[in-house]
Amino acid sequence: MSVEEIEKVFPNLRISGYSITSPATPEYNCIAWAAGETESWWEPDPLSLYYWPSNIPRRYTAEAYIKAYEKIGYSVCNNPADEEGFEKVAIYIDTHGKPTHAARQLSSGNWTSKLGQLEDIEHSKLDDITGLQYGSVGVIMKRPRKE
Amino acid sequence: MILSYPPNYYSNVEMVDTAVCSESEKMREAYTRMIKHYFLPISTQQANPETRFLTLKTQWEADTAILSSVTEIALHPAYQQIIGMGHTAIRLILLEMKKRPGHWFWALKSITGEDPVLPEQRGRMKEMTQTWLRWGREHGYL
Repeated sequence: MSVEEIEKVFPNLRISGYSITSPATPEYNCIAWAAGETESWWEPDPLSLYYWPSNIPRRYTAEAYIKAYEKIGYSVCNNPADEEGFEKVAIYIDTHGKPTHAARQLSSGNWTSKLGQLEDIEHSKLDDITGLQYGSVGVIMKRPRKE
Repeated sequence: MILSYPPNYYSNVEMVDTAVCSESEKMREAYTRMIKHYFLPISTQQANPETRFLTLKTQWEADTAILSSVTEIALHPAYQQIIGMGHTAIRLILLEMKKRPGHWFWALKSITGEDPVLPEQRGRMKEMTQTWLRWGREHGYL
């Protein structure tokens, strides 16, 4: 997908500015990328084809996604602001409460997102990619940053 | 004026196989699709499984690239039509997987009723792909 097409789907990116930080690949998705994983695709799909942390319900619900990130040390918080010594993930939710996307905060305070099967991008605000495609930010989680 | 082309017009179109990156491959496929679209009758396109597969695959890829959910990716109408092609689609899918990784596992499991991927390989696209290609060779599809 071209830059023009990305900006068509996420018009806020054009205003805020962003950078593409990886080539496009279908080998991992945003949920895995937010967890720091680039070797597998994380999804609680009904056919159990893809990776999902063990003993976490295979359901497309915020609760299941929260449990998945809790398993790697995150806990729910209510503030997306950059905090010294912590890294954060944001889970985007659609109007039906279904998780659609996850972004991870970088040490710079910016956010990194894998756009579907496309590229990773670095963007400054969580709202840069809210809208029809990914809905809005529903959950913020944090864990101590590993140096 | 009605333009007419000789029956062997399309077969005379030669694609030189020099594409080396994914973008080049996409352009090549788009070009091939365009040529087929303009020079083959619709009835022929629908009757030819390879052409039908290529048309559906191109549409599916374009529409789902931004999606992060395999369920949504697999429920796309073009993907469902590929599943509807049944066993005819298996070899075409496996040949596509040999070229580059893609989310074909849902279709393969749906068509064949089998899933040779080991639990520890789940989500690891390269390993899942290799396992299905091995399955394809063992079952005579490749």
